[in-house]
Amino acid sequence: MSFLVQNALLGSLIFTVLSGVIALGGRSLLFHKLAQVLLVVSGTLGIVASFILFLQPQAVLQISLASSFFPILQLDLFGAIFYALISLVSVLCAIYAIPYLQSYQSTYHLRSLNALVAAFVLGMQIVILSTSPFMFMIAWEVMSMASFFLVMSDRSHDSIRAALLYLIMTHLGAAAILIAFLLLAQGSLFVDFSTLADMSWTAPVWMLWTAFSLFFFGFGSKAGLVPFHVWLPEAHPSAPSHVSALMSGVMLKVALYGFLRVLLFILPPIGVAASLLILGFGLLTALYGVLYAVVDRDFKRTLAFSSIENIGLIFTMLGVAFFASSQGLQALYQTTLVAAVFFMIAHAIFKSGLFLASGLIVRAVHSRNLELMGGLAKRLPLFSVLFCVLCLAAASLPPFGPFFGEWMFFQGLLQSFSSATPLVSAVLVLTFAITALVGGLAIFAMVKLFAISMLAEPRSAHAREVHEPPAASELFCVTVFALLIVALGLYAPVVLDLIGGGILTASRFELIVGNSTVQPSLILWLLLGCVLIVWILRRLTSRASFERMYHGWDCGQPIDASMEYTATAFSAPIRFFFRLVLRTKKAVQVEPVVASNTWIATRSMTLNLRSIWMDFGYSPLGRLLIGCADQVKKIQNGNIRFYLLLIFVTLILTLWIAL
Amino acid sequence: MITILMIVLQVLVVLLVAPLVTGLVRWVKARLQGRRGAVPWLVYFALLTTLKKENVISESRSWMFRLVPFVVLGTILFLVVTLPLIFSDGGLAQIDLFVLAGVLALGSIFLVFGGLDAATAFGGMGASREMTLATLIEPAVLTTFAGFAVVAGSSSVQAIFGQGMTVVSHPALLLSFAALVLITLAENARYPVDNPATHLELTMVHEAMILEYSGPYLAMLEYASSIKLTVFMLILGNLIWVQPVSAFDLSTIGMAVLGVLVTVVVGSCLLALLESSMAKMRFFRMQEYLSVAFFLAFAGLILTLIV
Amino acid sequence: MYILKLFRILFWGPRVTQERSQFSATDEHLETAGTELKQIIGSLYGGRSLRIRAVDGGSTNAEEIELTALGNAYYDIERFGLSFVASPRHADMLFVTGPVTRNLETAVRTTYEAAPQPCIVVAVGDGACTGGIWKDSYAVVGAVENVIPVHLKIPGDPPTPTQMLRALVGVLKKPS
Repeated sequence: MSFLVQNALLGSLIFTVLSGVIALGGRSLLFHKLAQVLLVVSGTLGIVASFILFLQPQAVLQISLASSFFPILQLDLFGAIFYALISLVSVLCAIYAIPYLQSYQSTYHLRSLNALVAAFVLGMQIVILSTSPFMFMIAWEVMSMASFFLVMSDRSHDSIRAALLYLIMTHLGAAAILIAFLLLAQGSLFVDFSTLADMSWTAPVWMLWTAFSLFFFGFGSKAGLVPFHVWLPEAHPSAPSHVSALMSGVMLKVALYGFLRVLLFILPPIGVAASLLILGFGLLTALYGVLYAVVDRDFKRTLAFSSIENIGLIFTMLGVAFFASSQGLQALYQTTLVAAVFFMIAHAIFKSGLFLASGLIVRAVHSRNLELMGGLAKRLPLFSVLFCVLCLAAASLPPFGPFFGEWMFFQGLLQSFSSATPLVSAVLVLTFAITALVGGLAIFAMVKLFAISMLAEPRSAHAREVHEPPAASELFCVTVFALLIVALGLYAPVVLDLIGGGILTASRFELIVGNSTVQPSLILWLLLGCVLIVWILRRLTSRASFERMYHGWDCGQPIDASMEYTATAFSAPIRFFFRLVLRTKKAVQVEPVVASNTWIATRSMTLNLRSIWMDFGYSPLGRLLIGCADQVKKIQNGNIRFYLLLIFVTLILTLWIAL
Repeated sequence: MITILMIVLQVLVVLLVAPLVTGLVRWVKARLQGRRGAVPWLVYFALLTTLKKENVISESRSWMFRLVPFVVLGTILFLVVTLPLIFSDGGLAQIDLFVLAGVLALGSIFLVFGGLDAATAFGGMGASREMTLATLIEPAVLTTFAGFAVVAGSSSVQAIFGQGMTVVSHPALLLSFAALVLITLAENARYPVDNPATHLELTMVHEAMILEYSGPYLAMLEYASSIKLTVFMLILGNLIWVQPVSAFDLSTIGMAVLGVLVTVVVGSCLLALLESSMAKMRFFRMQEYLSVAFFLAFAGLILTLIV
Repeated sequence: MYILKLFRILFWGPRVTQERSQFSATDEHLETAGTELKQIIGSLYGGRSLRIRAVDGGSTNAEEIELTALGNAYYDIERFGLSFVASPRHADMLFVTGPVTRNLETAVRTTYEAAPQPCIVVAVGDGACTGGIWKDSYAVVGAVENVIPVHLKIPGDPPTPTQMLRALVGVLKKPS
């Protein structure tokens, strides 16, 4: 046992590899279960390793084999935060996957799927552990390729399209990161990160700027920053739900880890312009993501857009942090940086939980379409309570975890409004206002998600036939996530301390307002107490048994579920108010029933929620590329003399350049 | 101990006064329309009657339907407990504006859940509108509060509402105060955002969500909305002239309660005047109202930063 | 400026277009009936407010006009503690008008069942009381009591608002 604890880090990697190997072992379900169990063991060891670091903040865990060729893998306190998240989410996803994948045996190829998940987790683990660009890039590619195959694991046409889009975007990003590393390390990939940091501190400004831009694009495209986000709302929903949870909950965090690792530990402090760039893109991402999360009608895509929004908020916080640091506002820098990492942790928890829950809902209703859901709160009461907690948490409401992330950010901004130059004030005030709008819209998106899928009468036959509760272990995982997000709220000060130690080695972090310290538990108990008082008063003042069941007030005509508000109708006011941004296309088709009489007609309405970046950005770019390729194709004319001429010209050019 | 007594007394006074506010507004409005109107204290009896009536529960409801009245009234109670409305030490120092905004939003959200859980078109309609309003008023709320926090030097509600800070003593707050008035109207579903007296379901916002509730649940929801109106009125009143008191002796308390009554009467009259002199805005023009509120708040924040 | 003018008219201007003396003859009946009703409502199951939901069972709209008149500035039943509400869920009393047509039979029944008990049902107008001139027609079910229990009938085609109030007083008095 003590041996395991000492080598927990190595153990977690080995068990991940074992899980992948076992998964390939055979067709029997036994191998499937064994693979998941091994993944659970690996994750548990990962959590143990991270906790060793949390308890001894100065320590660094290392895996170095005797061979000098094998690069050193190490875990410091900063990495441990992310390593703990990866381990935690992968443990719960593995437990969840045991019954979940069994019900999808005909859709997915379990053997390869499990092996790919193991590879995916391994890739993410090693990204965190790597200490050199070489190892980092290898692990990054393992993670990207595994997730690429995972996106298309149901082999449907849409998934394959989504996966290919993802492949292109992720490789453009990876190429950018690789170039940036090569640029900074002057051509060598095997230098240590600390050596790299020394080299970059003496690098010329243009090189730093290029490297920063490339890193920003590379990590930003992986994290889903607008306008490089187009792959995310397609790819995340296509994957099986536990993989969506891993991708949205953890993979985006790994991208953020890379970005932070580079900015905090390698590059010298960035200037005003670069931090404003991060801030601007962050705000754009948050606003754009949340608007689409509000209007979208696909359950999992709403969650994916909400992830984009949350990533945008995190980038906003980081932007403010680096801006503050460039302006010498050390207190604001620390607060917002800690808030960003705290919000990141919260996001990993609630978004993974929401994606796991989405898997159960989609399986029950046989559709990802929100318009076909409804009435699940009555059929799956326990599950819907958990889902409600996760949705309220995702809307950043008190007293749940994410609220305190935003709270710290707002507090930080508020305290620095007046203590600075006009430029700083203007930036902070604008950020504050836009973030507040995003916060409001995020509430709308989450309310839509919960209320339309869970409340009212079922809107489709499948939703009406849902009776079977989800398997115990699936429910267990969702419960753990829901409890964790409540606990994160209650124990926010402890977590904040830890983060502060991880990135700043600063003094204690507390939630302070005015002269007093906020205890998150007080808010929770006070809220619960108020509800309890109301309950007691109601019991005292009126008879609880004096009630009767009757159908809803229908104005005298029988009503059915087709008259309920749908997700489209629910978000219609927002679509109207933001029509200049969203540019939704509405088309009404009128077809006469009888050709001779145009008055009696059937009317159908289609509402196209298109993506403006795709329509005005990527599609024209794609057409341009294909057009160029068509032009180039002209030289491939099948005439051998022409080819000989080309070879001759190339030879001459080469000689001319070489000499 | 004294603090707890103060909080209890404050809660009692506000809870007792609340139905009077709704009644007063209705009475003054009736007078302005040339009617004699119902006596202002009729609302107390209306609430008691409703409380004793049968509770008809919709068949399509889930657990949410029953939870909604408790959470809505609970969140409003939370506001009364934590805000320094009558006593300057009456609130909790730890509660700050963001918690306040969050709890307000929590109440709106549960009301929306209740509206949607009724599974009728009216409920959905009201829910969608209420959610839109609650969403788009959020930036205005936070920005206004930020303006107050900048002047008070802290975002704790104690520092803002409990230290006797008024618009008169800090003229820089004027724009933020105007924004707060607009927010009050929107949050409490009054003119020009919503018509609280309408019988036409298609124009309803707040009423449409509680169409399904009857008996004690209806009483709880109606009570919650009158307490909310009272709380907002007291906040506005405290920001103009009435100061929360800090001493805890009989005469001070008497004066404080008198102050509350004066605030409530004057506030109700002003609200009724406002409601009688303007038309309700079309819902799809609400973006103009909400953006005016937001820009007022924004200008207010900048004003407080400059001054 | 416009608002100032409005306020001036509201506070200091004339309240009515006719002199009070011209219509005070009927006023007395209304006032006495109303005041009495107010006292009765005061003793009615501990409360002092009565909320009414109007249900159209297929009337000619004559009764509806009179019901609307109940709420205007002249009759103003709100001062007696009565008010109209938007949902039967909120109602203490149903005003059903018209002979119940076959199309609206279910509507009347579900409205009654949707209202929380105790709930007083009032049939307003001759149509609702007996079926009126449509009695025994193939298209109507007839009087409201054929569909739901009726506690009070107000005859008249249509009854005037004052008659309605007086009838309410007359019947509500009985139980006490």
